[in-house]
Amino acid sequence: MKLTHIFSIGVAVLMVGVAQASAQTAPAEAFDNVTIHTASGQVIESGTIVWRDGIISSVGKDVAIPFDAYVHDGGDSLHVYPGFIDGLALWGSPEDKGKDGQPEEPGDPSYKRAGIQPHRQPSDLLNAKDEALAKAPEHGFTTAALGLKGQMLPGQLDLFFINGPNTADNLLKEGVGAFAQFEEAEGATYPSTMMALMVQFRQLFYDAKAQRQQQEYFASVASDYPAPKKEEVLEALYPVMDQEQPFFFVVDSKENIERLFWLQDEFDFEVVLVSGKEAHEKADELKERNIPVLASIDLPEEPDWMSDDEEKEEPEEVTDEMRIFRDKQEQAYRASIENIQKLKEAGVEVGYASNGVKLSDIRENLTRLSEEGGLNNTQILNLLTQSTADILGFGQRLGDIKEGRVASFTVYDTPFMEEKAQSLYSVTNGTVTEIESESSK
Amino acid sequence: MKRIILLLFAVCLSHSGLAQDKGSVLITNGTVVTITDGNKENADVLIEDGIITEVGQDLAAPIGVETIDASGKYVMPGIIDAHSHIAGVDINEWTNPVTAEVSMEESINPNDVNIYWALAGGVTSIHLMHGSANVIGGQNETLKLRYGSSMDEMRFKGAPRTIKFALGENPTRVHGQNFNVKPRTRMGVEQVIRNHFDAALDYKRNRKDYLEAKEAYEKGQLSKPPVPVAKNARMDALADIIAGEIRVHCHSYRADEIMMLMRVFNDYGIKDYTFQHANEAFKIAPELRENNAYTSVFSDWWAYKFEVYYSTAFNASILNANGVTNSINSDSGELIRHLNHEAAKTVHYGGTSKQDALKMITINPARQLGIADKVGSIEEGKQGDVAIWSGDPLSIYSIAEATFIDGKKYFDRSEDANDMRLQANPEEDFGRSQQRWYDANGRQGGSCMRGAEMRFTNQGMKYQQSTK
Repeated sequence: MKLTHIFSIGVAVLMVGVAQASAQTAPAEAFDNVTIHTASGQVIESGTIVWRDGIISSVGKDVAIPFDAYVHDGGDSLHVYPGFIDGLALWGSPEDKGKDGQPEEPGDPSYKRAGIQPHRQPSDLLNAKDEALAKAPEHGFTTAALGLKGQMLPGQLDLFFINGPNTADNLLKEGVGAFAQFEEAEGATYPSTMMALMVQFRQLFYDAKAQRQQQEYFASVASDYPAPKKEEVLEALYPVMDQEQPFFFVVDSKENIERLFWLQDEFDFEVVLVSGKEAHEKADELKERNIPVLASIDLPEEPDWMSDDEEKEEPEEVTDEMRIFRDKQEQAYRASIENIQKLKEAGVEVGYASNGVKLSDIRENLTRLSEEGGLNNTQILNLLTQSTADILGFGQRLGDIKEGRVASFTVYDTPFMEEKAQSLYSVTNGTVTEIESESSK
Repeated sequence: MKRIILLLFAVCLSHSGLAQDKGSVLITNGTVVTITDGNKENADVLIEDGIITEVGQDLAAPIGVETIDASGKYVMPGIIDAHSHIAGVDINEWTNPVTAEVSMEESINPNDVNIYWALAGGVTSIHLMHGSANVIGGQNETLKLRYGSSMDEMRFKGAPRTIKFALGENPTRVHGQNFNVKPRTRMGVEQVIRNHFDAALDYKRNRKDYLEAKEAYEKGQLSKPPVPVAKNARMDALADIIAGEIRVHCHSYRADEIMMLMRVFNDYGIKDYTFQHANEAFKIAPELRENNAYTSVFSDWWAYKFEVYYSTAFNASILNANGVTNSINSDSGELIRHLNHEAAKTVHYGGTSKQDALKMITINPARQLGIADKVGSIEEGKQGDVAIWSGDPLSIYSIAEATFIDGKKYFDRSEDANDMRLQANPEEDFGRSQQRWYDANGRQGGSCMRGAEMRFTNQGMKYQQSTK
């Protein structure tokens, strides 16, 4: 009996030892002879990246490659960039089924019918077979805060390493934020207007406060007190009320940004602004309130009359009225294109969020940001990587190619902003995936 | 033209956090229509830093203050429209028969070009109203038409809170006859109001009791914690109506339903209210006077639905003759641009005096909105909201030439550019952008029922969901 016991302990100790040893000696991997572009714009020619256990162990020019490393040789022609991070993507979200018929009382719908579902977790509902999750690495994305399609409070935002169908197994953190937007309920249902959305947000806070108060009272007395409700929709707002979790609030127009400020002044929650197409109009106040922006790059089309296209149809005469209109239109167009630049100039922290923009539209818009939007390639790279990581609270782990960071990067055949740049490998949390390009299929 | 663009640009820049723009100006030698003290020939009006400081003759302009010669012209207080839906984002939260919690103050669109067109009609303030789909609709917001400013700066500071009620066909059709939600009839409308007032009184008492018990418990004066009563935005607004903190403006047509609401209000002690439209108000003018109720009517707009057939162009004149404080409103982006004509119709049809006709678009709506101490007449100490008219404002030939708010010029016909919109959509082509509000909506569109449009079918009224 005694002997058996000692033997068991011995085996256990041995197993722990083996486990530790194997952790230390998991095979390393490396990309050698590649041009490395860091988030801050540093370029390392003929460089090497070594990683082990999903963490970059060394980066540089003359880096010693461990004997056990599996080495990918870039032949000095490949370019490596930190993996892009999407601050709010709807990839893998089930389609929104908010329109489940008309509620019996349009003015008093269920939370679900009204689009109020802040308790929903993408990690529970993710459709890992979504094509966007398979395509995202090809477009340079290795990490994303995933949200669900819906209306005013569609759910939580969960941070995932993006790796096609395996994404579901690569959850990094649940609830980096609570997704919110000024989005009316579908169909004949309250809230159907902006003014009702404002009040609905308020009423949710009032109700959550009362529910929590009753829960606390209930917990504090032994008997003779009515049991409180445990409405999960309201409970999901407690972290926002306690400033433990920010609202990731999708807002575009300057007026709606003001409306968001009104709510923030009343309820004192933390905000990450998402999309923010007119955010430059409120740049100083965003800075003052310390609100970062996960900016949209869904840029407007250039007005026909502004384009250099020779085939465009010109009216016979540009009237005074038309000229004034064009002046204003050009001003509005420029303001949209330069939104991110102006925010940065004002000292606002800016990252990136797709929020529904198609992966296939990203490259063209990035090119326009660089050609017309006043951002250089390093700034664009930073926007997609380190800046977004910082806003998500993962700035020390993600967003750059540095020792100690998570090994998430993308290998291209040319610098990524070049028109024909093709991604060849995506490395997500240390896992290499070879990308099947259109031409190689 | 450049000047006004620069001016607007400057206004745009001045948004955030800065004090409201106020101006100083001396307008000389005009016929000053004071409203409260008759017309003064060859008189001057001095506005300094947004306030009318002097009305008289041979006034000297302080250093740096522009002088505008109004010889042969009329200087009139800015027109006030007590019923408007321009400059609104959404108008109807039509999903519930009672939506007292929502407020047009959160539905202001400061970029609406209709604001500029209204300024061109000499209008300086509007009562931006919630629509009439619900028995108790949302709260309204009184605005100054500071075109080119922000939502906050559009607000008329110090104006009391008001709320929209609606009786008759609109709420019964939208709710009872489409959703099977009370009210389906005029009887139901009354009960919806009474039930909600009663619920609000209960709520107010329960909430107060809870807060007091909570405080006592926290101080150790109570051994058992209270059960929380959540703050309720809708009930708070209803309780404020009963407490007299929110003035009611009620969409109504028929005399019987107007009488009904006065009885309800008397039961709950509600005093300050205005009947909007009130096409049959002339039948009960003495009763309205007795209850100190106000009316705000159209000059001659009716027959657009069954309950609006029994109408007359004498309505305003009869009410006025019976001592009811009456205003003439637009409820339209088109009528708002010539409310002077609408007022003139009371002279033409009903023989109302010119002075009283002008009161119906100035001091009377100001009284109804609770801003008569600030605007609605040209008096020393009042705010510098005035317009210069090319001639007698009641003449069909007169046009507003310049419009000032707080002494600052927001419209000048001599500098009127062709396209005064504040925002241009980069992706919208010129032709489409030219489409005016009234092309799309017409005189009757974009008003009370916006967002909850209805159409007639062979089966009667059928709800047509808004495009949103």
